[in-house]
This record gives sequence, structure tokens and C-alpha cells, in this order.
Amino acid sequence: MAWIAKNSAGATIVRRSEPYLTPALKAKLEADVLPRYPTKRAALLPVLHAVQHEHHWLPAQALEEIAAFLDLAPAQVLDTASFYEEFWLNPKGKYLIMVCQSLSCELMGQKGLLGKISRKLGIAPGQTTPDGKYTLMTAECLGSCGSAPCALVNEVLHENIRADNFERVLDTLE
Amino acid sequence: MPLAQPVLCKRIPTYPWGDPKDRHYVGYDQFTATGGYVGLTKALGMAPKAVIDLVKEAELRGRGGAGFPAGLKWSFLPPEDGQRRYLAVNADESEPGTFKDRLLIDFDPHLLLEGIAICMHACRLDTAYIYIRGEYHAQAKTLNRAIDEAYTHKVFGEGSRLGQINGLWPTCYVHRGAGAYICGEETGLLESLEGKRGWPRIKPPFPAVAGAFARPTIINNVETLAMVGPILDQGAAWFKSLGKGRPDGVPPTVPASFGPKLYGISGHVNRPGVYEENLGIKLSTLIEDHAAGMLNGKKFKAAIPGGISMGVLGPDEYHAELDFDIGRKHNCLGLGTAGVIVMDQDTDMVAVARNIARFFAHESCGQCTPCREGTGWMYKVLTRVEAGGGTLDDLDLLLEVSASMGAMPGTTICGLADGANWAVRTIVNKFWPEFEARVAPTRSNRVSLAVVGATH
Repeated sequence: MAWIAKNSAGATIVRRSEPYLTPALKAKLEADVLPRYPTKRAALLPVLHAVQHEHHWLPAQALEEIAAFLDLAPAQVLDTASFYEEFWLNPKGKYLIMVCQSLSCELMGQKGLLGKISRKLGIAPGQTTPDGKYTLMTAECLGSCGSAPCALVNEVLHENIRADNFERVLDTLE
Repeated sequence: MPLAQPVLCKRIPTYPWGDPKDRHYVGYDQFTATGGYVGLTKALGMAPKAVIDLVKEAELRGRGGAGFPAGLKWSFLPPEDGQRRYLAVNADESEPGTFKDRLLIDFDPHLLLEGIAICMHACRLDTAYIYIRGEYHAQAKTLNRAIDEAYTHKVFGEGSRLGQINGLWPTCYVHRGAGAYICGEETGLLESLEGKRGWPRIKPPFPAVAGAFARPTIINNVETLAMVGPILDQGAAWFKSLGKGRPDGVPPTVPASFGPKLYGISGHVNRPGVYEENLGIKLSTLIEDHAAGMLNGKKFKAAIPGGISMGVLGPDEYHAELDFDIGRKHNCLGLGTAGVIVMDQDTDMVAVARNIARFFAHESCGQCTPCREGTGWMYKVLTRVEAGGGTLDDLDLLLEVSASMGAMPGTTICGLADGANWAVRTIVNKFWPEFEARVAPTRSNRVSLAVVGATH
């Protein structure tokens, strides 16, 4: 939910010496992404995507580095990053399973599907398995209503899902 | 009359002209070999103003939900001042029930790019950003592939056949969103494009005057722009021979429903998918002929005409004509995106209302209090009613809350809350007996303010 206040005031930032926004990544972004926009701030979403793609989530230190890179205040970066559900400010599992729960998917059996996945993985939506392999989430409309129910596993969309088939798909993930 | 030849689906096999199994990516070469970029060539032979006039004459209405005339929108731009002007393409398709733009992007992205190039020429825009929702991973890659081809063939980039615009070679980029429905609202989209949270802006100023980076900006939906190439190619008269004209007795100032439209149909039907048809097709035809009838032979109960924010059609509206006049005729918000969701006789309408309320409660950006609190309130009330703990007071409350939030009652900046309240209000009103049977028949002595839209 976009507007829930995040507890950032009392948070401690865990730091490491190695930067998240590596010189190589910076050079790539400076060459490919920054020239696309008339302001540096406009590159924020693409930069957040790029850093998250490398590290799987966005640690606070990475947000600070991005702020310095784009001449922004860290608070501005946090403000934007915390608004969008796709940006993860906490670690998530290696495989993020997002089960669509919007109307067409619910009409076509999403509730039963979610229940089965939840039981198989032993976690409720919003949780990550203890081994850090799977994170289960519900999602609002994934734009695949004609092939409901559907779910995203990382970047791959699965359509017309039948629970038994999908469980086999999950089993094949390394 | 059914659409004789596909227009948007010309290269995308779609029933009744082709089998969806044969769909594949149409690259630059195949696109041009089948009449692609002819519209652009024609446009480039015309003065920019003449292109706008042609689109205006065709009365192309926006395909993204609001149905605003595209040519009129283009004509709102101020005169050129030599500085930058932008095109923001709305590919944030996030409205439940809507999956039509994805079809165009997956299989015929050059149709969109042609429309983008024509729009940039007509409106003198130097940079186009295609704002695509973050969840469309594959589609963003496909678009980048098509854009690369378009650069190679001088649609965009240095040496572009458009020539320099505002002193720059025209460029086109994909900008990925990150999972926020509100970024489909045009000014929320602009805020997001600028790297901020997607909070809709107070208008005026309108984007045509001060949009992206405070510069004149045109924002159009994917399907709207995809329609521009064929219009330039075949003319306004051809476009107006398709679809549905003005209703009888309506002055020419009222926009009509000309042209073909992509209809997405999902839910309890045998063959869900995207179909192209003339505007004005009957819901019953779409279900029976295109979607191969109701799933398991069950009876029709209700349908969302075009994305959940449009409200609901009841069992007696099975033959409703799906055009831009549907809102006036059938007490719903409008045609929206034409993403139809069909529900059969066994569907629990309380659960449907709860699902829709949850969506809006989840996706409210939180900027305006009536929407932030109201959507959450409706969701809680409907959850209670669904669980069997509701009273008649709850139903009154739903109507009262829904009547008091939104841009139309004048309490919010954007239309998200209008979508939420129309959806909930029309479901409760059109299925009142079902809701009444689910709650305890008690009412306190409190006077309800539920006066808008209450028909019980």
C-alpha cells in the first residue's frame, strides 16, 4: 500500500565498505540512462530498477549512494522508492511469486490457487521461506485477465495456472 | 455490423480472421511490407497542423479510459517556442480487466511507434517516453527491440525522417514504472516520469501547457496512438465509416463512437481474450460470438463494461451497446478501457464489490483524505458484509461514502475515487436485494446522507 508511513526515522543503516552502486554500473547509467532525461531526478526510477536488478533489493546504503549519484537528498530517494511496490527496501526471497488477486483472477479461482501455494511453501502471503528461496505475495491486476488466474515468478508471467502444474513449476526452480 | 477487416489486429491473428496461436512479433521489415509506416510517410508530406486537423476530423476518441478526443487534445498545445516538448505514452495498463495494450506491444509494436512518430511530427514533440508498467517485463524488452529497429531505419534518432524538432533529433525511450496503478492517471504518470512518487497534480495547468518537466506535453494511450497511423493512411472518412455515429437527436458537439476498438473479455466465458470490433458492439454479441458463450453454459448475471472503475451492468443489460454513450444509457461511469469482465449466475456480488473495493483501497495514492480513508472504509464495510456481520446501516454507509468521494463530487484531485465509488455504488444499487439478503435487517435511527445514485 503506497501511503503507509515507513519507519525510517528510527532505522539504523547497515553499511558495508563495498558500494552497491559500483563504478561500472555508474558508468553504464551515465552513458545509457542519464542522457535520456532533462533532469537527473527523472533517472531515479531506472536507476532504482538497475540497482535492484543487481542486488535483488534496495538496502538503505544503496539509496544513499543513488542520492549522491543523482544530486538528490537521501530522503527524496526514499520518498520515491517507498512509494512503489516493486522496490524492495527489505530483502526478499530468490524467487518472488506474485499471485494476481484482482477480479478476473478471483472469478477464475485465484483464492484456491493462493491457498495451495501457501500450504506448499508453508508461508502466508507477505512472507519469505526460512531458506530465503521463495517470497509469496498477492498482486493487483497483472494485465493478464484473459488468461486468469495468473502469477509472476520474478520476471516470468505464468498464465491459465492450474495449481498442480504450478506446483511442479515451483519445484523446478533452483 | 461486424467489423469486416481488422485494423489494429491486421498483423495480429485474432478471431474471426485468424488463430491467436499464430501470433508472433512483427518486426520492422514485416511491418513495412504490410503497409506499415505508410501513414507516417503521408503525415510527413503534410503540414503539422493539417495532421492535427485530420485526426480531429476523424473524431478519434482516446482509447485509454476517458474517451477524450485525441485531435482536440493535440490542438491544446501552445505555439512552439523552440524549447523542448514531450510525448508521454501511457502504457501503464493496470486497470483490472484490461489487457489490450499488451497485445499491441507484444505483437505489433511498430504500429504504436508509427503513431508516436506521427504525433511527434504533428505536435512538434522532440522526445517520447513510453511509460510502461513495471510488471510488463517482457513487453518492455519487446518495445526496446522495436525501438532499436526504428532507430536503425531512421524513424527516430540522428538523421530521422522526421527531421529535427525543437532543434533536436526526435528520440523515443521506454520508461518503466514500478507497480503503482495511480501512475496510469496522466499527471501521476508525469510525476513518476520525473522520478517522484506518482501523486496526481492539481489541474490546471493542464499537461498540454505545463506537463513533463513543466513543458508542454501530450499524453495518449497506446491504443489511441496505434490508431493514428491507419487514420493517416486511409483517411478520416474511412475511420468514420466504422463504429457508431452519434445517437439520434444529439448535437454534433457531442463526441461520437467512430472507429474500431479493442475489447478485452475475461471472466466466466469460454474463450476470453482481446477482440477487435466496431464501437457499439452489443455485450451479448461479444460474449456469444467472440468469447464463445458463457462458461459451462451458465446464465449471465453481470459484467464490468470496461475496467472495474466503470461500475457494473446487471442481468437486464445483457444487450448493452459498448460505446462511449454507455454511461448515460446504462448508469455506469462509461466505456473505460473496454476491458469487459463477465460474471455468471453463481457469482457472489458482495465478493465482487469487496474485491473491487480492496483494489482501490490498495491503490489509492493517499494524497486526498476522502479517497485514502474512503476506499479503505468501503473495503472494511464490504469485508464485514461478506462475512455476515453487516446491517442495513452498512449498506447505507457504503452509498453515503461512495457519494461523497471523488473528483466529481469535488473532494479529490483525480478520478481514482470516482472509479471506486461508481463501482461500489452501481453494484450495491443494481444488486440491492442480494446485498439486503446478506445483512441483518436492522437500521438505526441515524439519517443517511445516501442520496446520490441511490435507487432503492
